[in-house]
Amino acid sequence: MRFLYFVLTALIAGVVVGHYLSPEFGNAYELMLYLLIFLIGLDLGMNFRITDLKKVGKSAVIMPFLTIIGSLFGALLASVILGVPLKWGLAVGAGCGWYSLTGPLIAQYSVVYGAVGFLANLLREILTIILYPVLARRISPEKAVVLGGATTMDTTLPIIASFGGREVALVAFVHGFILTAIVPFLVPLVLSLFDY
Amino acid sequence: MQIFIPLLLGIMLGYVLRRLGKRPNLSGITSAVLLLMIFLLGTKTGEVQVDSFWLLSVSLVFAILTAAGSLLMVVKA
Repeated sequence: MRFLYFVLTALIAGVVVGHYLSPEFGNAYELMLYLLIFLIGLDLGMNFRITDLKKVGKSAVIMPFLTIIGSLFGALLASVILGVPLKWGLAVGAGCGWYSLTGPLIAQYSVVYGAVGFLANLLREILTIILYPVLARRISPEKAVVLGGATTMDTTLPIIASFGGREVALVAFVHGFILTAIVPFLVPLVLSLFDY
Repeated sequence: MQIFIPLLLGIMLGYVLRRLGKRPNLSGITSAVLLLMIFLLGTKTGEVQVDSFWLLSVSLVFAILTAAGSLLMVVKA
């Protein structure tokens, strides 16, 4: 939770500085993005093991793919309702809650939709923290995991473990783990598909 | 698409480090880079004239519908 406050502080400070001072940082933003992507890859390379997926049931392995399809459908509906071009809307949905990756990736092409990608996915994480305890009781602790998208292996895992239990925590971890491996490829892919 | 280059380089180096039995702790540097990048994203956003109410409402609709879409897909499956 504390890191979330740091994130919000960094974002608000950046917006205020950008609005009032308009500083020139050159290509520092792109360099930071590439460094972050490299670090994400490094982390994946060090920790991703196919054999870990065998520890949980088949349904837990299928669930992340349903999360992606559902997220893309939701984004499609939101794009149509709000009149947002599909390229940006689907890219926002493809982020599956990973705001720190989705926002900067989209911002390479559009600053405004990069901000939407960042904020929408951040709000999804916040919604998960608020709604998971309620939905876990109403639907099922296991199925309600999909709310958190890619965040279920880190930031929203404590809340899922608290309200869903240890077994659901393992499902949540694998769910987030698979999405974390897919989303860095999916968002650029969606952006490039519409790059005509 | 050039985003795949650092990603794949990282995955390959991470795999090599794992094979060598070396696991550097990346959480500190990743958090620092992330916060700096978010700050820079904020400065870019701050320079653009954008209606903050529009930004918040559009983001909220996306957040609700993407989460609801995932939930519906799993419930119906």
